[in-house]
Amino acid sequence: MRHYLSNIYLGVYTALVGMRITFKQLLKPSVTHQYPYDRPFEQKKNVRDIPKGYRGKLHNRIEDCIGCKKCEMICPVDCITITTQKLPKGERLWDSMNVVHLKDRTEIIGNIEGDEKPAPNTTVTINTQDNGAVTVSSEEIANVVERKPVIFYLDQFDIDMSLCMYCGLCTEVCPTECLIMFDNLGDGIEYSTFDRTDLIYEFAKPEMYEKPGDESMEAEAAD
Amino acid sequence: MAAPQPESKIIELKPFTDEMIVSMGPQHPSTHGVLRLELKLDGEVVRDAIPHIGYLHRCFEKHSENLNYQQIIPFTDRMDYIAAMNMNWGFCLAVEQLMAKEEGKFPGVPERGEYLRILIGELNRIGSHLLSFGTYGMDIGAFTPFLYAFRDREKILLLFEKICGARLTYNYIRVGGVSRDTPPGFMDEVKEFIDYFEPQIDVYNSLLTANRIFIERTANVAVMDAEMAINYGITGPNLRGAGLQWDLRKDETYSIYDRFDFDVPVGRDIPELGVVSGDCWNRYKVRMDEMKESVRIIRQILESGLPDGPVQAELKAVRPPKGEIFSRSEAPRGELGFYIVSDGTPKPVRVKAKSPCFTALSALQELSRGLMVADIIAIIGSIDIVMGEVDR
Amino acid sequence: MPVGLQSALNPDAMGFENLHQFFVQASENWAQRFAQEHAPFLAHLPAPLGELAIMLACCVIFVAVVPLLPLGLVLAERKVSAHIQDRVGPMRVGPHGILQTLADGVKLIFKEDHIPREGDKFLFVVSPYIIFACSFAVFAAIPFGQSILVSNLNIGIFYIMAISSVVVMGVIMAGWASNSKWSLLGAMRSAAQLVSYEIPIGLGILTVVMLVQTLNMQDIVKGQDGIANWIVFRTPFTFIAFFVFFISAIAEVNRTPFDLPEAESELVAGFHTEYSGMRFALFFIAEYANMFAVSAIAATLFLGGWHGIVPAEMLPQGGILGFVLRAITLGGLIGVVIKTLLLVFVMMWLRWTLPRLRVDQLMNLCWKYFIPISFFNILGVGIWGLIFPTDTLLSIVISVIVIILGLIFTFGVLGKSLSKGPSNSAERRISATT
Repeated sequence: MRHYLSNIYLGVYTALVGMRITFKQLLKPSVTHQYPYDRPFEQKKNVRDIPKGYRGKLHNRIEDCIGCKKCEMICPVDCITITTQKLPKGERLWDSMNVVHLKDRTEIIGNIEGDEKPAPNTTVTINTQDNGAVTVSSEEIANVVERKPVIFYLDQFDIDMSLCMYCGLCTEVCPTECLIMFDNLGDGIEYSTFDRTDLIYEFAKPEMYEKPGDESMEAEAAD
Repeated sequence: MAAPQPESKIIELKPFTDEMIVSMGPQHPSTHGVLRLELKLDGEVVRDAIPHIGYLHRCFEKHSENLNYQQIIPFTDRMDYIAAMNMNWGFCLAVEQLMAKEEGKFPGVPERGEYLRILIGELNRIGSHLLSFGTYGMDIGAFTPFLYAFRDREKILLLFEKICGARLTYNYIRVGGVSRDTPPGFMDEVKEFIDYFEPQIDVYNSLLTANRIFIERTANVAVMDAEMAINYGITGPNLRGAGLQWDLRKDETYSIYDRFDFDVPVGRDIPELGVVSGDCWNRYKVRMDEMKESVRIIRQILESGLPDGPVQAELKAVRPPKGEIFSRSEAPRGELGFYIVSDGTPKPVRVKAKSPCFTALSALQELSRGLMVADIIAIIGSIDIVMGEVDR
Repeated sequence: MPVGLQSALNPDAMGFENLHQFFVQASENWAQRFAQEHAPFLAHLPAPLGELAIMLACCVIFVAVVPLLPLGLVLAERKVSAHIQDRVGPMRVGPHGILQTLADGVKLIFKEDHIPREGDKFLFVVSPYIIFACSFAVFAAIPFGQSILVSNLNIGIFYIMAISSVVVMGVIMAGWASNSKWSLLGAMRSAAQLVSYEIPIGLGILTVVMLVQTLNMQDIVKGQDGIANWIVFRTPFTFIAFFVFFISAIAEVNRTPFDLPEAESELVAGFHTEYSGMRFALFFIAEYANMFAVSAIAATLFLGGWHGIVPAEMLPQGGILGFVLRAITLGGLIGVVIKTLLLVFVMMWLRWTLPRLRVDQLMNLCWKYFIPISFFNILGVGIWGLIFPTDTLLSIVISVIVIILGLIFTFGVLGKSLSKGPSNSAERRISATT
């Protein structure tokens, strides 16, 4: 009898406790976002912040790519395809740009004038492509990616994002940090297409180089 | 809401009618993925439940033989995708132990890396147990805890997103440490989450754990005693739910778990509630308690603060010496073992994963005999399987 | 009274005795009065035709209004569940998604109407209509106002019980005809469940009927003017009976924690697994119409029906002021709808809080708990009727005092004593160790 009564009591009591919790929640505002609609019209304002360093869509700043093929080798799913052509002997194209990582996790891409390993308590001037010369104190700098000479013509640099598993290993091995993953909403995440062949991104720009071998290539094609 | 009936292990119905064979899964709302159960039913009573697995088989072990050690780590993410950090960790631990067999090959994980590993591993344990709690509520019929659990797990995923850049497949823990250092303000956010989350566990306990209907549904259902658990090789919360205090973090300490103070919750008999150690309720309860213990560990990290220094050891190459290793670690679902054979090249000759869910699933058939269809759901939820890890 | 109607009242003249009886019972019928006032030509039709026309008019108005209820209730359910679960629910169709159900309905109409090849086609097609028709026929006897009801049957509550029992036929037919094992399991569960829970519902109604000595729904309501006269407070036993009735009613309409016939996590979708398109929509509408119906019955039987908190004679009669005051004091049509919706909300609230019972536990709850308690209530009401043959102020005061003391005893004294006992120490052990 005691068990019987206490069973009824507990059944009612625990149900009431649960109902109190859910009713409290009923009155609280909801936490969910209305993802594509929760932002002002057409402004790519983030619903929530995509944090710095998010592993999104891959991108290659092809001008800085030296064609080392490290990314192709480390890729576990072989989604990167690179074909290169060695420069003629003694020739040298250009150097990749420096990537300056600041301590607040921003990065500046540009050429550092002079010494690449800034001494403490100095200011460093970085010539960027977009913002002109930027001056930062060397105390703010976390590390600097050194400039490296481009030693290959890149004929093909294709990334098939439909195969990519977003492990980020390729961006970690990249010596010039030209291969990056976008960490913003528009470029990094929202890039779905109706055709999967649109997901093969071709980064190589052969027109970058004034190749002496252009004629020979044409000759090859003619053959 | 009847008094518990201890003899309800097998319900004998006479006369015995025709068996009805029902295929539960692979498309079924509560088989946690793509498990298929072949149920032999006598009315509502289950005569036999034969699990059929392999619907999510992705050849992880064979695939690993063609990849080098760094490349395998993202594939371990895909094993137990709910607790991918712990999967990374288990594999890296095995590789590190194999490398350490040769003098001077492996300098050891730096202090900061170890702390970060534990912080992230315990956060992921909370996330994994939260999901287990939520889906278990849903299996039993309460939908609301599921959404609450996901709301809180989302906060953990946001933290992971900040530290490693991904929400599910982290690829964060590497051989020799972790891949990235914390972003600024990260520890404050962890503290904020822990402060929010700790009282939340009590809310969940009063919402679901102590609910009379929930106890009725799970108490004394599918009792797996310690002996049976050991015979089946079951580990983790399922073993601890059977009342055996066995936790690799304590009993075979790896990393720096010996520096932290935490308890190992075990299942126990509560005769007043009809709860028997080793039943579904205890397996579930151990997970709820473990979340509290994980919160305790994280609090200790927050108090001591992360030590300064690098997060990853400087390694020339991840190339273990010739030899083999079996290493195990405590993943949220049990002991995760990796057996690696190396021939001294950057690629392993053989990788074998001993997955805790696979062994737990093997006990399902014996547990479910003579119970009802609704109990099968309760068992699957309580042993907390992730099919990605079972099939690999 | 118009000539046609008068002749209709003469049984010899018409020879339709059952129809005549129905018509006499419907003499307070609002639709009839509406017809008399606005369409007098109906009354001049030959005898059986006039009656038929009036009944048809009733049905048309009724059938036009009632399906709108599920439309609102489905949205309400989705919104309540969403906000309980920290979500926002449907937001896209119309402002805050108020047209979502309509959009879903349109979608379901256009969907393929799939019939399993090996299934029993006739039963498969018919069963949704049976469930749909039954859940709507229940409304015929529920009074929503002094004159707002389709048919003032003298066996009103009995008719409701009978009709709502037919639902189980539809469920079993649907489960059998689908030729799916999940559906069959759901149907069998449903059969057992509905048949069992008819008993506590019937016994709960019996306690009310013993008190008011009538089966007529209108007469049951008429005695409940003012909150003190609401049957739920009139004796302590009806207070318990109200909860037993309400919980059994939740089981009767297959909702969590008793939604075993369609348990999503166990039986995929139970008896309507194989249904699609409009037939599925019919099940869905029927479920919500049923929910509204049982809540309305509970409100009518126990919570005063269309009588408000304040006795009607204390309020100004007629005019907008009278109407508004009546609505505010939960009287009249609006009052009964508010009470019903409150009960519906409690059903939703329970659904999104509690887990689901197992089949055997469901039966235990019914046979070992609800039925003995119901018998206890019947005994109590009988004794109460001996002590207080008529309802006096004294009896009501005593009843309210007993109810309050009982609540205090249950949740204070008994709770404490039980907490000293084994059960609650376990509760504390749960909370202590967590």
